[in-house]
Amino acid sequence: MLDAQHIQYYIGNRPIVNRASIQVLPGELTAILGPNGAGKSTLFRLLSGELPCKQGRITYNGQPIKGMKTRKLASLRAVMPQHSTLTFPFQAKEVVSLGLMYSRPKYPKTIVKEVMSATQTWHLKDQLYGNLSGGEKQRVQLARVLAQIWEIKATPRYLLLDEPTSSMDIAQQHHIMQIIGQLKQRNIGILAILHDLNLAANYADKALLLKQGRVLHQGAIRAAMTPENLQGVFDYPLSVQSNGPGAPIYISSLPSSATSSTNYTYKLA
Amino acid sequence: MLQNLSYSKTAQQSLVLAALGIGLVLLGLLSITIGAFPIPFGHAVSILLSQLGIDSGTFTEQEANVLWQIRLPRILLAILVGGGLGVSGAALQGLFRNPLVEPGLIGVSSGGALFAVIYIVFGSSFPWLGRIFGSFSLPLVAFIGGLINVMLVYKMANQGGKTDISLLILAGVALTALSGALIGLAIFYADEAALRNFTFWSLGDVGGANWDKVKIAFILIFFPSLLIIKQFRNLNALAIGENEAFHMGVDVQRVKYIVLFMSALVVGVGVSMTGTIGFVGLIVPHLLRLSFGADHRLVLPGAFLLGAFLLNGADLLARTVVMPAELPIGIITAILGSPFFIWLILHVKKLNS
Repeated sequence: MLDAQHIQYYIGNRPIVNRASIQVLPGELTAILGPNGAGKSTLFRLLSGELPCKQGRITYNGQPIKGMKTRKLASLRAVMPQHSTLTFPFQAKEVVSLGLMYSRPKYPKTIVKEVMSATQTWHLKDQLYGNLSGGEKQRVQLARVLAQIWEIKATPRYLLLDEPTSSMDIAQQHHIMQIIGQLKQRNIGILAILHDLNLAANYADKALLLKQGRVLHQGAIRAAMTPENLQGVFDYPLSVQSNGPGAPIYISSLPSSATSSTNYTYKLA
Repeated sequence: MLQNLSYSKTAQQSLVLAALGIGLVLLGLLSITIGAFPIPFGHAVSILLSQLGIDSGTFTEQEANVLWQIRLPRILLAILVGGGLGVSGAALQGLFRNPLVEPGLIGVSSGGALFAVIYIVFGSSFPWLGRIFGSFSLPLVAFIGGLINVMLVYKMANQGGKTDISLLILAGVALTALSGALIGLAIFYADEAALRNFTFWSLGDVGGANWDKVKIAFILIFFPSLLIIKQFRNLNALAIGENEAFHMGVDVQRVKYIVLFMSALVVGVGVSMTGTIGFVGLIVPHLLRLSFGADHRLVLPGAFLLGAFLLNGADLLARTVVMPAELPIGIITAILGSPFFIWLILHVKKLNS
């Protein structure tokens, strides 16, 4: 389990993350949702070990992150940041194989081929990373991150994703979410910051609603993503519809003018 | 199909490195024979073989002396210094994540030069240095100067894991100017003996090579270069970003210290022996990346070989164009390097994408 207990992070006197407690179980996809400035990225960086966690306690499979060797940590969790830029002309497959730099698997080539096929980037393998489109770059980065934890192992591993679908078109977004969903069978726990509430509602197992550094709600997706909870977090009216358990969830918002009582009539030119 | 993915070198990479190595050996053999005092190729080979105890032909004693006492140490020193400049340029570019970085441009060389001059001028006030370190004192002092400057530049230009290239170049310009001014000041206070030493050093070039220098360079340039080359995997990871490298298990801080420390050592020692030689560290890694890709597994050892080749070629030119006189080698590398640098500045946006 990836377990964070009462973690806090301050910039000056302002709490960015305020006594947050989080559990991510292997085999589950947990979505972090919240408005801009809620502290999602800071929380993410604390959990990944990038920022030192001074107050509170973060453990991976019971081992505290504090004092853990960088290489040991890399064998337990992989991280995909929002943007990665490359300085030098590397090929896509070189970027992906970097994910294997310390795991030293038996069949590195097979893993690279599998993760690149899964992210639909295998046909781009010989191209220079710099020449790819935004969405292609993001899929290559995802392939690199997947390579790090792709091998099936008894120890639970974790994948932290910061808006993994942000430069992708609709079809790719669903495709990526499906791939991420399949990782659950590999004894991997996934934590993803997601912007798209519908993607979160339909792919995640659990949701974590964050506002002003506080975890307001945490739990199974249908229990956490109620209209009241979402409105409280985003300060905007949202409707949540579903035709019963198991059926897809639709989350929608309308222009504020449409939700108010004023009626507008449009004249056709 | 997937040759590039294993952790051993690929066939292509090995081939490129072998070709560079063979080219370097051939150039070395050629350089041995050419010069104000030409030595026929057959004689040169015989002299080399006779050192190994193989008697294979005739040569005069004068030829043997020129080859053994003057030319061979000179070529070996050019190989070590040029290789060191190449590999430290490649590693610093990888660490700063910027293709414009070069030991001369970011002030490492000038820091080394300043401390070398200070030691030459005021060294007699610190006789214990010479007693402890012997002929290693000058190179070691130059290393400290290079280290101070490279640390300062790194601290100034690196903000939140990202290197600001304008800050980097400006910091390099400022430190180079300051070092230059302090060198002038040190010379102002120099007495006549120190001044003579300084003049001798500043005209040093690789022409001042002798076996003592080659031995010191071998210890203080070749081995640190190997340590830098060993960082290839970490530098590859750093190309994606410092945070990403950390996520993949790289101890980023440790890599930084190894590369900064070893580069300062390699460059400082080189400067203490040959004076400042610019642009080798800039051109060499770039040519390799442009031709064979950015994988540091090839770029780092390749930069050593190509840097050695380039400096040897430049030295051959320097001592033949105005024969029997000699041009300072820095002039040749600057004439080749400055237009290349300008081209690079104009194209760096495109290269970065």
